[in-house]
Amino acid sequence: MTNMAPNPQATSSDPAVLSIETRNFGSIEVRSDQIINLEPGLLGFTQFHRYVIIEHHQEAPFLWLQCLDKADLAFVVIDPRFLLPDYHPGPLAQILRDMAGEGPEEIKVLVILTIPPGKPQDMTANLMGPVVINLKTRQGRQVIVDDPNYSHKHQVMPI
Amino acid sequence: MLILTRKSGEGLFIGDDIRITILEIRGKQIRLGIEAPPSVIVLREEIYRRIQEENLQAAGTRDIDVTEIAQLWRQK
Repeated sequence: MTNMAPNPQATSSDPAVLSIETRNFGSIEVRSDQIINLEPGLLGFTQFHRYVIIEHHQEAPFLWLQCLDKADLAFVVIDPRFLLPDYHPGPLAQILRDMAGEGPEEIKVLVILTIPPGKPQDMTANLMGPVVINLKTRQGRQVIVDDPNYSHKHQVMPI
Repeated sequence: MLILTRKSGEGLFIGDDIRITILEIRGKQIRLGIEAPPSVIVLREEIYRRIQEENLQAAGTRDIDVTEIAQLWRQK
């Protein structure tokens, strides 16, 4: 997480700071250089593009991908290397090369978690739809991995 | 729904920058060529629906759910 932008909650009088209402975090302040633009947007939510990454402070590798254009739209995401150290779906490699440009170290891959209400042990990770973000340009997109080795409902916790 | 009839080798445009070409018709299968800008999502319908449905389910996550999975994670 060393290259992650600091959490957006810090108060600032900088005019470039936006105050955004969210469902989970109340009003948060986001600097313009923390905003990630997903183009195209996530499938099912393609009309929303601006997101911010918020760390979840509980000594666990979960992050929030909070939409800035819809207060109640937020996804829990995780670096897939925490789940599968060898997560290397074929189609992703080419896309990473295309998106990386000059600095491959700036690319962040995250997968979205689905947590059934009241059944956290049944949470699954969508390994078919990783979100790839270039942290330098802050541009990202959901890449669709059509590879039978990777499920859209990958069981995270041992059954 | 707009319905058009095309032969193999013919095509159609959707707007200025999306071009669909009928490449081959063989029995019940048709091969399509699709040229579209990178901002346009092009997927087989079943894949599109699977990812869209998963995103819709994931969007319902509440803060309490994350607190719980964080606890589970630390116990792992």
